[in-house]
Amino acid sequence: MPSYDVMPEVQLYQPTEVDDALNLAEKFRQQGWLLGGGQDTYGWLKDRAKNPTALIDLNDIEAFKGIKATSTGIEIGALTTLRDIIRNPLINDHFEILAKAAGRVASPQIRNVGTLGGNLIQDTRCWYYRRGLACYRAGGNLCYADSPEAMNREHALFNASRCVAVSPSDTATALVALNATMVIKNIDGDREMSAEDFFVGPDTHITQMTALEPGEILTGIKLSNEWSNARYYFEKIADRDVWDFALVSIALVIKEEANTVKDSRMVCGGVACTPYRLNKVEQYLKGNPLSEKIITNAAKIASQGAETLNYNHFKIPLMENLVKRALRS
Amino acid sequence: MNNYKHIGKNFIPPDIYGKVNGKAKYAEDFRADGMVFARMYTSPVAHGRVTDIDTSAIDNMEGVVGILTADDVPSTEAPNAAILTNNPAFIGDPILAVAATDERIAEDALNKIKVKIETLPFAVDPLDSLMEGGPDAREEGNVFSRSREGSGFKKIKWTKKQIEEFRAGKEPTGEHATEWNYGNLEQGFKDAALIIEEPFVTTGYAHMSMEPRTAMAYWQNGTCYVYGSAQSQSFWLPGLARLLGVEQDKVVLISENTGGGFGSKIGAYPAAALPGYFSKKLGRPVQLRITREQEFYIGSARVGFQGWIKLGFAEDGRMTAGDVFIIEDIGPNATGGDGSSAGGAISLLYDPEAMRFRGLPVLTNTTPRGAQRGPGQNQIAAIMAPLMDKAAKALDLDRLEIRKINAVNNETTVYAEQRPVTSAYMKEALQKGADLFDWDTKQQFPQKINAPKVRGLGIGQGYHSAGAKGFDGLIRIAPDGKIHLYSGVGNLGTYSYASTTRAAAEVLKCEWDDCIIHNGRSDKNLPWSSYQAGSVSTYAQTRTNYVAAVDAVDKMKNIAAKIHGGKADDFDIDGRHVHHKTTPSKSSTYAEIAQAAIEFGGTFSGAIYPEDIHDITKRSVQNIAGTGLVGVAKDKLPQNGVIPGLAAAFVEIELDLETGKYEIMDYVGIAECGTVVHPQGLDAQMKGGAVWGMGMAGLERHVFDPQNGLPANIGYHQCKVPSYLDVPSVTRTDAVDLPDPQNPFGARGIGEPAMGCAVAALTSAISDALDGYNFGRTPVSSDMILNYVTGNNQSFKPLQTNNF
Amino acid sequence: MEFATLKKDVWGREVILGASWDLLWVILALTFIGIAMHAIIAAAKKRKAAPDSSGKRIERHEKIDRIFHWVMAVSMFVLLITGIFPKIGIEFAWLTIHWVAGLLLTVITIFHIFRSIFWQNIKDMWIGLKDFKEPFDESYKPGKYSLAQKSMHASVTILTLLVIVSGIIMFALIDTPWWERTNALSEDILGWVFLIHGLVSLALVAVISLHIYFGLRPEKLFYTRSMIKGWISEHEKDENHDQEKWVVKD
Repeated sequence: MPSYDVMPEVQLYQPTEVDDALNLAEKFRQQGWLLGGGQDTYGWLKDRAKNPTALIDLNDIEAFKGIKATSTGIEIGALTTLRDIIRNPLINDHFEILAKAAGRVASPQIRNVGTLGGNLIQDTRCWYYRRGLACYRAGGNLCYADSPEAMNREHALFNASRCVAVSPSDTATALVALNATMVIKNIDGDREMSAEDFFVGPDTHITQMTALEPGEILTGIKLSNEWSNARYYFEKIADRDVWDFALVSIALVIKEEANTVKDSRMVCGGVACTPYRLNKVEQYLKGNPLSEKIITNAAKIASQGAETLNYNHFKIPLMENLVKRALRS
Repeated sequence: MNNYKHIGKNFIPPDIYGKVNGKAKYAEDFRADGMVFARMYTSPVAHGRVTDIDTSAIDNMEGVVGILTADDVPSTEAPNAAILTNNPAFIGDPILAVAATDERIAEDALNKIKVKIETLPFAVDPLDSLMEGGPDAREEGNVFSRSREGSGFKKIKWTKKQIEEFRAGKEPTGEHATEWNYGNLEQGFKDAALIIEEPFVTTGYAHMSMEPRTAMAYWQNGTCYVYGSAQSQSFWLPGLARLLGVEQDKVVLISENTGGGFGSKIGAYPAAALPGYFSKKLGRPVQLRITREQEFYIGSARVGFQGWIKLGFAEDGRMTAGDVFIIEDIGPNATGGDGSSAGGAISLLYDPEAMRFRGLPVLTNTTPRGAQRGPGQNQIAAIMAPLMDKAAKALDLDRLEIRKINAVNNETTVYAEQRPVTSAYMKEALQKGADLFDWDTKQQFPQKINAPKVRGLGIGQGYHSAGAKGFDGLIRIAPDGKIHLYSGVGNLGTYSYASTTRAAAEVLKCEWDDCIIHNGRSDKNLPWSSYQAGSVSTYAQTRTNYVAAVDAVDKMKNIAAKIHGGKADDFDIDGRHVHHKTTPSKSSTYAEIAQAAIEFGGTFSGAIYPEDIHDITKRSVQNIAGTGLVGVAKDKLPQNGVIPGLAAAFVEIELDLETGKYEIMDYVGIAECGTVVHPQGLDAQMKGGAVWGMGMAGLERHVFDPQNGLPANIGYHQCKVPSYLDVPSVTRTDAVDLPDPQNPFGARGIGEPAMGCAVAALTSAISDALDGYNFGRTPVSSDMILNYVTGNNQSFKPLQTNNF
Repeated sequence: MEFATLKKDVWGREVILGASWDLLWVILALTFIGIAMHAIIAAAKKRKAAPDSSGKRIERHEKIDRIFHWVMAVSMFVLLITGIFPKIGIEFAWLTIHWVAGLLLTVITIFHIFRSIFWQNIKDMWIGLKDFKEPFDESYKPGKYSLAQKSMHASVTILTLLVIVSGIIMFALIDTPWWERTNALSEDILGWVFLIHGLVSLALVAVISLHIYFGLRPEKLFYTRSMIKGWISEHEKDENHDQEKWVVKD
């Protein structure tokens, strides 16, 4: 097999205006690669596992950057670096869970350049797929990670459909918990969708991780005040505490009233191809006090329906324990 | 404390500046006029036979300069690693190389080459290959043992029942290939009040050198200049010359800095010779840059173990017998002698009264294996520590105490031959560590802390033989008074190339500022020095520098006697002058003496040199002869017995029962390496070793998909080396600092045990946190802990390897 | 024109990935052209008056066979839609629907095989040499089924059996409620299976399009009615079929 590790020939575009970026995205569609911090770009390109003809560098577009307060909450530019999110007072004052999640991404060096948008739309870390194998996700006709002897310790418990890869994004779990809205642009205009709908599974989109279509750019993330300053919990369990992806992570926002749960949103990372929302747990909790019995039941409900692979059954107790920790916190 | 001027004192090694300001040059930083870039096409299959290579698509490709195939290089007999091969035995085995005017063109060209390969059966777990009817990693057989009596392939298969029994933890009954023993084993177990018997697995994992094994080469006047990434310097030359098919004096190795080797670059490896052949074929310099991914293919990995151990203990905690059986995962190239070394480590560290080692080196189609820091010793250290704890618990002894009872000391005899040790103070190391760690107090703390966390305390012991002898020392005093110290030991990053030359400065009593170190290029007149491996440099090179300096001092005194009259013994040195002991006015400076040496010639100037020095040293002396006073000698100092490098570690962890993860709260590492030569260097060794040990204990991954032989770990992220938050922010180290009688300064080596003690302390602490449960395995990953705590089965088969 | 797309297998060797889905547009275009040409030619021909549908009714398809036909039709449609739409960019969770419909098709096909062997007169559908007179001899009348109908049935039979067999092999290679996927096939054989499944599916698109077209043609509409209601009139029978070759039992 060949060995690749230098940048292949690719046209570099560095638009400074939103319209130019959208035009380029439309012009190149699948052949155009949107470049944010580059942390999930250069590896793919250098390995020649992905071969776009154009690299559209979005970093010079100021409109895609920054964090600002709006009448209904805050809006974050997709090109805002994770470091800026971690340090931003607005986020820390109102949506601290996002700062916390961003702070657990990769390493400081990567967070310095890595963007929120890039973290959200990064591709899965399945090692077979990353090797450049022609699996389902790469347009092939089988999954190497879900076979009788496959090494799939990091893979999915829920909602696998042929592909068993998991969502690697730490900020995605927090944003789904916060019921964020994703702002997507193309040359025809804007569309908005909930974070939950933004992430798509292999049953519908086996070669994509998000609902972004060719020609579209994720330009911003809106957080409404619905969950601002709610009690929250975020925890990520990875093999290593720096530069590693979640084995399982949990993001919870919860509102309580008179010692019972009024409302909550709970999302697990690392267990499904998308941030995995624990709807049943949320429903179960509604109106209940957070007693030890309720918490134990909630944990059991959380893992219902899990389908294990060869090496990942540890994720079930891990997930249950994280649910308990989140609710006890 | 000693009264040395240089030994035991910190200094600034000269290569530090380059590493801080970025000017240090590594193999891939070098360029030469007309240089082209080579890249390798490697095997996509775990085992196969190349049946056709079609390069027609690149024959006329612009920028492509040439192709090198296995037919262009000497063939290598299996199972040895080849420069290029038509019989690949692992994914990533080099098949051909393409050279082009830039790397992108080379990559484009590789993409167009079509290589047809017939696939052959392969194995990524030794037990799969041992199973009757199982695949053989090589067509010639599945076992290859190397020994003094003879090396060769064997085909050894166990019955399904034998494999199953072994997996179930019973004593293996299948055939083995090597064996040694001492004492009466049967009696030893008969005398035991306690017998512990357990199976174990230690997964081998990549060396992960930051600098891949890149090399650049060109030919000039029949000499091949190789800019390589070498762990050793002079020691590389014979092997590199052999690989290149030239005489030793026709090869120059330039390796000024090395970005890590960890045992994988001790001697010349095939990839370092490839540019030489390519350059010869093309008539221009060729650089072969090894990609990060390729470094994980050919950069080698630690030997993995699947074993069984039985230990007998007397009532008082003394180990009466040890019986160990180790199946070694020796990869495709049958490299590594870790099994027997592990047996040796048991015999030294715990000194059982009787012992038997049985080994079975099994070939697999995984990463080629190689010596990795404490090869054998460190794997077994990790396995032994929880077993010692188990014995202590069963015999109602303190865990520290049982280690002291069995600690290696000056009277201990070791290995099959029951050889003496030069000196050993493990008991002192343990006590020093216990005091620094505050073992007695910490033991009183409750195990259960804030739920769901539990505490665990661990003690680890590390060992590696840490010395060698018989190499040459070379120094020169120039007429300007400068002291030139020649070090051919290699610069792996430990600074020992520099710190050991301070032995010569010590003898010469000179100022360090007057010294100039020469190293990093074999045409810089370097002597035949020890390999930079096996923890030997400190011991071996302080001796060579000592004998060269003693030779120089002797010559200086003789010259002074010639100048001032009297006998040589009437003179002494003070660091700048040679002076008459009773008539101080009869004095010459070192500079004057050096000038006189040139004039006197003969042995003084290096025109005549000892016959017993190595050819490499002879050539160097010939080159510098007549330029000053030359001190040159072979190390023939007395040496008898095993030279132990020892270390003890204490660790405290907090283990989270809900996640399976643990945090290292405190770590103390104590070196027992004789006299400390370079305190900062030692501290770095102890800390670096600790980090590595922490990685081996719980994190470092080596995963192969058994269905298709694919390795999962071909990048740093996938290999999970510890990050800065996975290790404690403060790691405390110290040393026993008692001199060894067989080194002129009392020094022994330490590199490898610094890691062994750490991994052992951690396996011990994990077991302690889990009320004595022993996984019998490295690494112990968080999922394993969680599965154990929740009462679930582990997801791997018992004794399965290359699975995390 | 490429019939197959290729990919690299796990060891970098070129193997078949499956059918080239660009063929879909080719097939659709050819089918449309064929239908249009037939329609034009048929329109140009002098059309005979349609036989009277009143009068005595003769049962052409038993209820159970009609149910079979329409279940098969539905499952086939579901299979084609769920199989092909995601390939042309219309994304939805198709896999479970696809294999459930595939199982249904398999079960009813087995049912139909048994029924045709043991309960129906299989010879009615058999294509003999004599049948080939039909296109060339205006006076020649077929038995219960015309050559065109028999050919359509034969095509659908072969294609359906192929698509079922290849589909079952593919089914074994995904996780289902009953088993976890196996690794029984090498990637090159798997590629052939995908190729057959894909090409056969594309052929079915053409064949079924034709089937629908003919079923909706005015002169054939009574056959469609018979597949819904079960009967044709005696006039329709006499006009199109040989009395001796299609003996109606009472």
